[in-house]
Amino acid sequence: MGWFDFLFDSNKSKADFVIAYEESCSEQIPPQRPIEQLNFVVLDTETTGLNPEKDSMVSFGAIKIQNGRIQVKTSIEAYFETSDNKKEALQIHEILSPKDPIQVDVFAKALLKYLANHIIVGHHIGFDLKILEKSLESYGLKKILNPVLDTQYLATRLEKGYHYDVSMGKPGEYSLDSLCERYQVPLDDRHTAAGDAFLTAQLLLKLLKKAEKIGIKDYKSLMR
Amino acid sequence: MSNIIVNRVKEFLKQYPPFSFIDEKALEEVSREVEVKYYEQDEILFSKGEEAQACFFVLKEGSVKLFDLKNGQENIVEICDEGDVFGVLALLGNRPYILNAKAQEGSLVYAIPVSVFEKLLIENSRVSLYFAAGFASGQVVVRNDLSDSQKARSEFNPASEDKGLLIFTGKSDFNYSKVVLTCQPNSTMQEAASRMGEKGVGSIIIVDHQNHPLGIITDKDIRNRLVAEGLSYETPVSELMSAPVLTKSQHSDFSDLYLTMVKSRLHHLIFTEDGTVNSPVTGILSDHDLLLSQGNSPAVLIKALMNTHEVKEMAKIRNRAEQLLRYYLENEVSMDFVANIISEINDIIIQKAIKIAEIKLQADYPEGIDTKFCFVSLGSEGREEQLLRTDLDNAIIFEDVPEHKLEKTQKYFLELGGEVVETLLSCGFQPCPAKMMANNPQWCQPLSVWKKHFSDWILTPNQEALLKATIFFDYRAIYGQKQLTEALTEHIYQEISTKNIFLNFLAKNALLNPPPLGFFRNFILEKSGEQRDKFDIKLRAMMPLADIARLLVLSHKIVGVNNTFRRFEKLASLEPNHGELMREAGQAYEILMRMRAIEGIKNQSSGRYISPEDLGKLQRQLLKNTFYPIDELQKIIRVRYQLDYFGS
Repeated sequence: MGWFDFLFDSNKSKADFVIAYEESCSEQIPPQRPIEQLNFVVLDTETTGLNPEKDSMVSFGAIKIQNGRIQVKTSIEAYFETSDNKKEALQIHEILSPKDPIQVDVFAKALLKYLANHIIVGHHIGFDLKILEKSLESYGLKKILNPVLDTQYLATRLEKGYHYDVSMGKPGEYSLDSLCERYQVPLDDRHTAAGDAFLTAQLLLKLLKKAEKIGIKDYKSLMR
Repeated sequence: MSNIIVNRVKEFLKQYPPFSFIDEKALEEVSREVEVKYYEQDEILFSKGEEAQACFFVLKEGSVKLFDLKNGQENIVEICDEGDVFGVLALLGNRPYILNAKAQEGSLVYAIPVSVFEKLLIENSRVSLYFAAGFASGQVVVRNDLSDSQKARSEFNPASEDKGLLIFTGKSDFNYSKVVLTCQPNSTMQEAASRMGEKGVGSIIIVDHQNHPLGIITDKDIRNRLVAEGLSYETPVSELMSAPVLTKSQHSDFSDLYLTMVKSRLHHLIFTEDGTVNSPVTGILSDHDLLLSQGNSPAVLIKALMNTHEVKEMAKIRNRAEQLLRYYLENEVSMDFVANIISEINDIIIQKAIKIAEIKLQADYPEGIDTKFCFVSLGSEGREEQLLRTDLDNAIIFEDVPEHKLEKTQKYFLELGGEVVETLLSCGFQPCPAKMMANNPQWCQPLSVWKKHFSDWILTPNQEALLKATIFFDYRAIYGQKQLTEALTEHIYQEISTKNIFLNFLAKNALLNPPPLGFFRNFILEKSGEQRDKFDIKLRAMMPLADIARLLVLSHKIVGVNNTFRRFEKLASLEPNHGELMREAGQAYEILMRMRAIEGIKNQSSGRYISPEDLGKLQRQLLKNTFYPIDELQKIIRVRYQLDYFGS
């Protein structure tokens, strides 16, 4: 708020690729566009912890859905350098040593181009977005501008209706694990960023079919 | 540049042909191009007549139905399950789809762009053969050619080392003559022949003064090169000998020796000290020695059987025959040959068993029994198809005797039958659970009673009669007076010609088990008991074929062709309009026999219940391909015998 923000901003001049990204996002997706025609980027991050302010990204994985099909060739996977004192978390994810870590600036550039004006999808996507935004803020990105769809939200909406509060239900009922089990997505490569992105993409395909059955057929009704 | 997702896709594809034939790198390229799509239950993937898409499909999970629509009726051609490849017309030139594909349940499908596969199709012969042989689902266009399937089957066997040599009993296990008859090159043929005669051997080696081999003269050479040519007996051996000779060290590997002889087509191999022609002769190995050491050749087994009177020995030899069988099956030796050999061995065992029994019974029946009889095998052994020692089905037919002699005569033959059955059980055969054996009074009868049995079955074809008919109509004389079975056959054809309706009943019976066209999903597996979740290959695939072959053979009044695949061969020439289908059915039957026998040997069982899970994808597809001729034949039978209008 106010002019402090402005000062803060001006200290970080926007990188060219950020400007290009923001321009690409200005184009709106027509509300009546059928789901089959929508482009999605399904992504996931693995991090050193659960605090987006302090923790950092260990790996990133994503895959696109275009024309209703998961396009395997669009899949990407990136690993980052992390400091040694975060070993504990690394062990959880069984990532022993990052393979070919990517430079953050190379990643930032590639990511924003990759996201283009696709709908970003993820499970608990809010957390991933914060982590991504944090790693991109030094390039002048304030916010990821893509439309966003959370598979956890979509699943509860389809199963329980609009106003259901997840926190009221059984714990873990809408976790990625239990949803995958419910929708019969085999839990291959769980707890790797790319693996989870692929699982989430398969889950999304199934959820979208379910959505279509109850009349959610276009962009507008999907994002409502 | 592999990542977890591409890898995951690759790992899935790798399990199934044709992807299993593709090397890692190429498969990774294919996997990268995969598109994943989810179809809800009843969603259409493609429709008949639609232009083929630029991709073909692999089912990742769920089930997809391929069907044709006729007069609004769904005619299911195939039900695909995990790993099945379908919608491949795009690969075979851009033709419209010939079937409809619909998801039967929620199904995840991998679409593979044709563009990445075209190159593989050209470069990888196994991949192209996979498609050419019609292994992909719904490929009804090319399904006619089961011989391609068979070819593919052997091609697709893991490119293993030649298992053939496994049957050899061991490398040092052969005998050869260490004392070798030799002579100098200037000896005359006369001298050589008389020395061979003296020693009673069939060959003489011509050596130089250092005892190094120069050539060889055999009995055959004396006959063909000397006597037949009218040459002088004074001709020096050096002029007529075969030279140079093939030499090896006697320490050579057995398989090496064997292959050398087989490849050179020579009957003798000479051992020298260092294995070359430039060292002294130490021995000679003939192909006869080799044959004997190669314990499991059919000729040796049969000879050994002929020479023994010991039941224990017979049992051992029969076990060795099983090894031979395994070797034949694994090496895709023609089923006709295999069935012939094994039936021959089984027949000899039965004949031996009867002779042993006859000798044994002499003590109790010193005056002897001069009644003519015939021991017949029934069922699969009757059809010369019993590869494994599954159920015994046999019977005794003896000639009619005056009534006062009947009791004693029957008693004799029952005892004979009892002895024979016991011997066969000792040789590892299994008893018939329904007791259709020669030790059962019901099936040890004079010809007139047998005629009546058959007349009854033909006149009153109830369920039980039909069941018996399927076993008894395949009788085959094994020992004794063949005239008895011939008389019976004549009687049967006479009865059938006046009571043609019997064939309609038999036809109806042949259709009891429709082919399980989509069986791998879940509905045709056995539902209960120990064999739960297994597939009954005998009941569901072999019996329908054997039943149809029998029916048609009877309808054409063919005599003396018992084997199901030879029956189909015969039928192909009798019904040229269905020639192709008949031949195909015969091939299907051979494939099924082979699969069952392999399964049986592997699990030490009858091989009857196959667990689809354990079959490779390819085996499953091969099995599926064998069902089409059954389906086609059953349709023909249904029309020919007007079964739709035929009450029960």
